[in-house]
Amino acid sequence: MDKRIGVYICQCGSNISDWVDVEKVREVIREENGVVLARVTMFACADSAQKEIVADIQQEPLDAIVVASCSPKLHLYTFRSVAERGGLNPFNYVQVNIREQDSWAHSDQPTQATQKAIRLIRAGIAKVQQAEPLTPVMIPVDNTIAIHGAGVAGMRAALELADLGTTVYLIEKEHFVGGRVAQWGKMSVTNQTGEEIVTEMYRQVIQRPTIHLFTGARILSATGSIGKFTLKLKLIPRYLNPPCDAIGLKKAMEACPIVVDDEFNFNLTKRKAIFHNFKSEFPALPVIDMNACTRCGECLQFCTQIDLDQQEKIIDLQVGSILLTTGFNPYEPKPGEFGYREIPSVITLQQFKRLLELSKGEFRFGGKKINRVAFIYCVGSREVEGEHKYCARYCCTSAIHAALQLREEFHVPYIYHLTRGIRTYGKQEILYEQSSVAGDVYFQFVEDDPPNVEASGDHVKITIHDLLTANQEVSVTVDLLVLVTGMVPRENDELEQILKVPLGRDRFYNEVHPKLRPVETVLDGVFIAGCCQGPRNIHESVSSSLAAVSKIYSLLNKGEIQLEPTLAIVNPDTCEWCGKCVEGCPFDAIEKAETDKGFVARVIESNCKGCGMCTIYCPTEAIDIKGFTNQGIRSMIDAMAGD
Amino acid sequence: MKEVDVLVIGGGIAGIESALNLANTGLQVLIVEKDLSIGGRMIHLSKVFPTLDCAACITTPKVSEAARHPNITILTNSRVMHVSQDENKLFLARVEQKPRYVISALCTGCQDCESACPVVVNDEYQYDLVGRKVAFIPFSIASPRIAAIDIDHCILCGACEKACGPGAIDFTQEPEQVMITAKSIIMATGFKLFDPNNIARYGGGRFKNVVTSMQMERQLVPTRPFNTVLRPGDGKMPDRIAYVLCAGSRDATVGNPICSQICCMYSIKQAQLILGALPMADVTVYFLHVRAFGKGFEEFYQQAKMMDVSFIKGKVGRIREQENGDLLIRYEDIASGHVKEASHDLVVLSVGILPTSGTEQIFEPEQPELDPFRFFR
Repeated sequence: MDKRIGVYICQCGSNISDWVDVEKVREVIREENGVVLARVTMFACADSAQKEIVADIQQEPLDAIVVASCSPKLHLYTFRSVAERGGLNPFNYVQVNIREQDSWAHSDQPTQATQKAIRLIRAGIAKVQQAEPLTPVMIPVDNTIAIHGAGVAGMRAALELADLGTTVYLIEKEHFVGGRVAQWGKMSVTNQTGEEIVTEMYRQVIQRPTIHLFTGARILSATGSIGKFTLKLKLIPRYLNPPCDAIGLKKAMEACPIVVDDEFNFNLTKRKAIFHNFKSEFPALPVIDMNACTRCGECLQFCTQIDLDQQEKIIDLQVGSILLTTGFNPYEPKPGEFGYREIPSVITLQQFKRLLELSKGEFRFGGKKINRVAFIYCVGSREVEGEHKYCARYCCTSAIHAALQLREEFHVPYIYHLTRGIRTYGKQEILYEQSSVAGDVYFQFVEDDPPNVEASGDHVKITIHDLLTANQEVSVTVDLLVLVTGMVPRENDELEQILKVPLGRDRFYNEVHPKLRPVETVLDGVFIAGCCQGPRNIHESVSSSLAAVSKIYSLLNKGEIQLEPTLAIVNPDTCEWCGKCVEGCPFDAIEKAETDKGFVARVIESNCKGCGMCTIYCPTEAIDIKGFTNQGIRSMIDAMAGD
Repeated sequence: MKEVDVLVIGGGIAGIESALNLANTGLQVLIVEKDLSIGGRMIHLSKVFPTLDCAACITTPKVSEAARHPNITILTNSRVMHVSQDENKLFLARVEQKPRYVISALCTGCQDCESACPVVVNDEYQYDLVGRKVAFIPFSIASPRIAAIDIDHCILCGACEKACGPGAIDFTQEPEQVMITAKSIIMATGFKLFDPNNIARYGGGRFKNVVTSMQMERQLVPTRPFNTVLRPGDGKMPDRIAYVLCAGSRDATVGNPICSQICCMYSIKQAQLILGALPMADVTVYFLHVRAFGKGFEEFYQQAKMMDVSFIKGKVGRIREQENGDLLIRYEDIASGHVKEASHDLVVLSVGILPTSGTEQIFEPEQPELDPFRFFR
């Protein structure tokens, strides 16, 4: 029997009705088979419109509804719930996208856009005619999480989730926690050092028995889906067995003959193959860098706890959800970019901040006392034609704050800022004000006419056409030039391939919606926070991490989650078990099962994503996707293509 | 006495989002909103930067989800008057709900009262660009979509009472006091827009064709009052539109030394939308620094430049009104080093945001800390 269908055509304010003649659409659609009611609404999603639809369903009464509006990505659940409140099965509702796929796409052809809307809606009507009532699938959820990255964002999330009752596996690629923040010295606004912040957080992390920290860890593979992921981890050992005698260790480190660049200090200093980053570094135990170690055995004479034969371990973790807090890399200027690596007294902002942290009393670099410092901003950021088109957001404030520290603590009198427009947004503006009042000098250039940098004896000479003084040519000669380098995505290719995390145009991890779903990804159960998502300061990173905590908590604390019932289903009467569907399935969601009539395919519902790949392979059409059956799709095509 | 887990003060996007997340974990939440509808500022915006999503389209689902969530109660037209804490750290709040003079359960939102009402006042939901009746539905997508009577301007003629079919008008309603206990409170009271009258040299509030960015925003929304962009002075379609950034921000002389963070981007967004509505118009943005710092913001700024929005680096000193209503902007053109003047049909002041004043005073005896700029710390 034909369903009694109500069709709602949304104007979306004017987003649709500016190009689609909604009244005309309504007149045509009203005459379609099964349609008992067709209405035009200003905003179908508005509360008042929803109430009207509910009333229509009950009063007419209707068996099914079609809403022609925006993308179902926005409002599928809104209208499913409307159908449900009216007393319908939520799957007796079809959303037709006449905005993204019609009015916006064809704003130059309103007549055709109107025709297309009619055809799209006809297909929707055909689909809803075929629709079967479906019930969501419930699957259990492990109240456990893997947090990848033990920087401030990861540690903050670990602490909060542990306190909410979740078991946390905190996975850190490095051998020490703290991420980039551990490398920073004094921070703007609070004037705490990175070391202090990290130390305090680590102290709290180890007090919680439900946080399991893995350092030197990498994810090798990930299987499963929301509710139950299985991660395979590789753990690289420290080559030390705690507890260690501190004096013996110190001697062992002195004895180590291998000297390499210390990446923690951005290669400003050297370290041994057995090392730790700073005194209160966590875990407090040093580590042996096997890439550098020659196994010469010098250290073994002083510390019996060193064990060069420790082996890598592989472990499996089962978690309900995953949070990525993998952070960023500082931009590394190309050799020769503003004299970088060609002129010795040209360094990056990150090196400069480390240098401030390592300096005592006098500010020296390369053996000489520094009196004049210049900063060139936006190095590796805001490249209109380049790779990094975005503003790295934290660097203006960070550079100005570091320059203030240079003036206040080290009394460096001459500080020049060569900027492309200062972006100390919000309350950070006060720092810019302070810096200007303190006597720092600001120049401004445009991207097309960058400052010229050349060596001048021991010094660096910088020439700029200064926008602030009507493009006059100005030169300054300084002892040290700091390139204010921004943030770039970390190279996490392995992680991207394993988890298939979506990337944005800027190649940072991408959220579902920057405003309204800022910490979720399109992968159900996989969340992101901190700088892996894009440049931000500590306060913003921690805020995003707390937002992720609230989203994760509401997912994990229920014990089970509802999955879309639009999964594959096998008709055992027509299945002849050829195994082709198993080959086609990208999610290992089909297995061979035995029935009284022989072997058939069977769907593992917790793995099935409803992608439909299996249906293409099946030679007998024995496998279908609930809600998207082959027959349903054929009738949609007929309705769309018919006269 | 109503007992809830969390009291959310403010029913804007922040209050609604927190209420929904908490309610989804099973907690009982009460939202107290001083306005007649929830949705805050966001529901009144046109599109959001940098995605250009229609603001109403992404706000209304949240609004309607909150409105029907079994764990969320909403009190509109209400204010939290006083909050104290008992010995168990439980908050005790006194909420005053003002009367709508309309019986909510009976009102169908048909707007017959609105047609019948003879009194017209400025429509604050359209930022005074047009008028509204005194018996009115605040705006078309309001939640709840129930009429109210603006008693301060009502002449008690009774026309609405006669027009109302279901007999929902009730002039005898009195303010109600509701006592609440809550384990936790979320302050989501939003912000106040900078009042352009406080910079006399820009002529805001005096010159008819100097509008605030919020007034321009309302001219760009789907439910816009004029269905196009017009200048308020004479209804002329403007050709030369200017944006003055940092109007009331980064300016110690008006008491607000900090950057408001949003004005650069909303101005760039509006400039793009204006070029959609009035393709032949010239849009000029007078700025000091463009703070396009968020994800996709810089690219959005570059997009505006490619659409031929002019960006002039320079502080606007003064705006003068000419006889024909055009406006003469006197500014420091930093690129040339000269003071210049330019004539525009319409000037938009990109006003900054200020803290809502006095909100902390409802707490007694101890008040939450404020920062030097009077935002909550």
